[in-house]
Amino acid sequence: MKTATLNRLTPYIFMAPAALIMIIALLYPLGYMIYGSFRAWDPSQTLSETEFVGLKNYISLLNDPNFHESLAVTLKFAFVVVSIEMVLGVGLALLLDRNIRGMSILRTLFILPMMIAPVVVGLMWRYMYHPTVGTFNRFLKSIGLDGVDWLGQHALMSVIIADIWQWTPFIFILSLAALQSLPSSALEASRIDGATGWQQIWHIKLPLMMPVLIVTCLLRLIDAFKVLEVILVMTEGGPGLSTEILALRISRTATEFRELGTAAAMSNYLLILLMLLTASMFAYTKFQEARAARLAAHAKEDD
Amino acid sequence: MHKLLGYLTSTAAGLAMLAGSAFAGPYDEYEGTTLVVNFPAHPHFNAVMKILPEFTKETGIEVEVDQLPYLKMRERQTLELAQDEGDYDLIAYVVFSKADYVYADQLENLAKYFMNPKLADPSYDAGDLIDGYVYNIGFAGGEKGYLQGKTGSLFGIPYGSETSILGYRKDIFEKHGLNVPETYEELLETACKIPELEPGMGGLSSRAASGHHASHAFLLHLAPLGGRVFDDQWNPIVNNEAGVEAANALKKIVECGPEGAASFGFGEALGSFLNGDTAMFLDTTVVAGQIDDPKKSKVVGKVGWALHPEGTRRGSQTGGFGIGIPANAEHKEAAFLLMQWLTSKQGDKLVAMAGGNPSRFSTHQDEDVNEKFPHMATFGEALKHADPDWRPIIPVWGKINADLGTTLSKVLTEDLDVQEALDGVAERTRTVMDEAGYYTWQ
Repeated sequence: MKTATLNRLTPYIFMAPAALIMIIALLYPLGYMIYGSFRAWDPSQTLSETEFVGLKNYISLLNDPNFHESLAVTLKFAFVVVSIEMVLGVGLALLLDRNIRGMSILRTLFILPMMIAPVVVGLMWRYMYHPTVGTFNRFLKSIGLDGVDWLGQHALMSVIIADIWQWTPFIFILSLAALQSLPSSALEASRIDGATGWQQIWHIKLPLMMPVLIVTCLLRLIDAFKVLEVILVMTEGGPGLSTEILALRISRTATEFRELGTAAAMSNYLLILLMLLTASMFAYTKFQEARAARLAAHAKEDD
Repeated sequence: MHKLLGYLTSTAAGLAMLAGSAFAGPYDEYEGTTLVVNFPAHPHFNAVMKILPEFTKETGIEVEVDQLPYLKMRERQTLELAQDEGDYDLIAYVVFSKADYVYADQLENLAKYFMNPKLADPSYDAGDLIDGYVYNIGFAGGEKGYLQGKTGSLFGIPYGSETSILGYRKDIFEKHGLNVPETYEELLETACKIPELEPGMGGLSSRAASGHHASHAFLLHLAPLGGRVFDDQWNPIVNNEAGVEAANALKKIVECGPEGAASFGFGEALGSFLNGDTAMFLDTTVVAGQIDDPKKSKVVGKVGWALHPEGTRRGSQTGGFGIGIPANAEHKEAAFLLMQWLTSKQGDKLVAMAGGNPSRFSTHQDEDVNEKFPHMATFGEALKHADPDWRPIIPVWGKINADLGTTLSKVLTEDLDVQEALDGVAERTRTVMDEAGYYTWQ
């Protein structure tokens, strides 16, 4: 082999083992799940012992009202929590992006909730929502109001509140980092031009933060679609199926119903949904970047 | 001379070996063996941990315990039992697992061990083991496939089993001159009278949360009210008159129960009773220890115990744990010896005195046990009515149970019509059973 060719191939040869391990580690479990979704798979069997059932698991899910309900609950939960968390997290970041004494302590305090294990968060909120000994109802009763059936009639709202409490800091910390890395020249220029604080936020800060915000939003959405422990501990999906999100249904299908094939098919539906979501958000980012580039080009032409 | 000496020496050695084998203890062969057992984190098995050193002292067999939270234990066993060679020599399992494990050929049939004279202790007295528990958690292959019967075999022995019992506040009952309910009619009447007599206090504390909890609470009432989930041909009959009556009983109990009762799991239901917010508690016997523990309970010394009330028949629940030997265990015979020791009269009394749930009638009547735990005699009486068939133990039960539990939760929280709700459950159950092949012979 010629030296030049060898030189060209050397990096690939060195990278090959690591790349191979990465591919196997990434693709094998995925392939395992996809393969399993086409089989009648009981946990006591090895995958090779199972019977091939084609698309049966996927089709039966399309006709399963419980799956539809879980999907609806998941969509409602994910979009509501992420919307509120984005508004609160970005708002807090804009509010606290200044040099005030003790700000570093305040920031650390804000991010504490997301450091707590989800199971602990679930237990904590479950007992705060307790109808008789819980903090909220005791407070309501102390001011002469009736207690609220938090985990009964208002279960979905209650788990949404717990999620917002835990994950708003995630949006806050990434938004704050994005804000602090904005080019000061743009902000100074706008200040010189007489822009108000609100105009700066709306026309300078938010557009410049947008790529980070989109990725942050995407990460939170993916996470919200897969949330399990907090809801499992707080409501176990109830009452009825009112808080049974898809991850919980998948877990139940696999462990309680012992239908691993159906659980795998359900996971694949969730995977497809998340892939579509990711693709559309990246497409939106590209569109925004192209728009910004066009605007910049127009501005240059105008100059 | 040398020859004679040699002859005498070898004869003496031979005699010594013979004598040794004739007087060898049942445990000698297994001395030094280390058994790995898998137990749940559960009050009974916490008591078991206290008595295991006694077993090692007596037998020379070491025991290493992998104690896991129940759900984790189930997950771990699913993986372990599917291997060619498993890590566990003895496992604790819940009754639902019995169907799965036996069906997958993962548990040892215990006949060959009880037939082995070197292993089986003639004084074991299997007749003293609580019938309902043994049929519920130990047998498979008999009636309905999961109970005792002429075609049945023993795959496990109850250990840490539970039945249902009625706990009531003696002080509240005395204060208002209430009688302890003996029938379902009296139970429901008393449950709804208490909130009127003691404002802010619930009548009866019950689990009712969506899924397993609501289903469990419903089935607790279904058996004594004369119902079953299936008839003998596997037709769902959960929606018949007894089923509707059981669901209405649960609804009434929740309505007259403590605040927020519809979302109570087992923990909240028990917590409400321990906290003094409810006057009655109808559930598993395993709670007795906590009710008498001043660190956990505000009602120590105020609770009386009575049998699960009678409907058209007596029928208290059977549940909890059993122990069995995995088919892929490494030390099966030594594991059997441990199993036999733990469930023997001696072992059962030891674990009861350490705060565990006994599995024998004699332990419930034992003087020492009753002196330490005065409720034990009532529990023993309740066990005479333990119903091994109060809920079906079939592989597809998980799915049916979840549907039943979520539907009943809707009945309790969304005011869904009881008959309509149970008709839906019966219809969906039929589909599940059909897919699982239960109507192949119809």
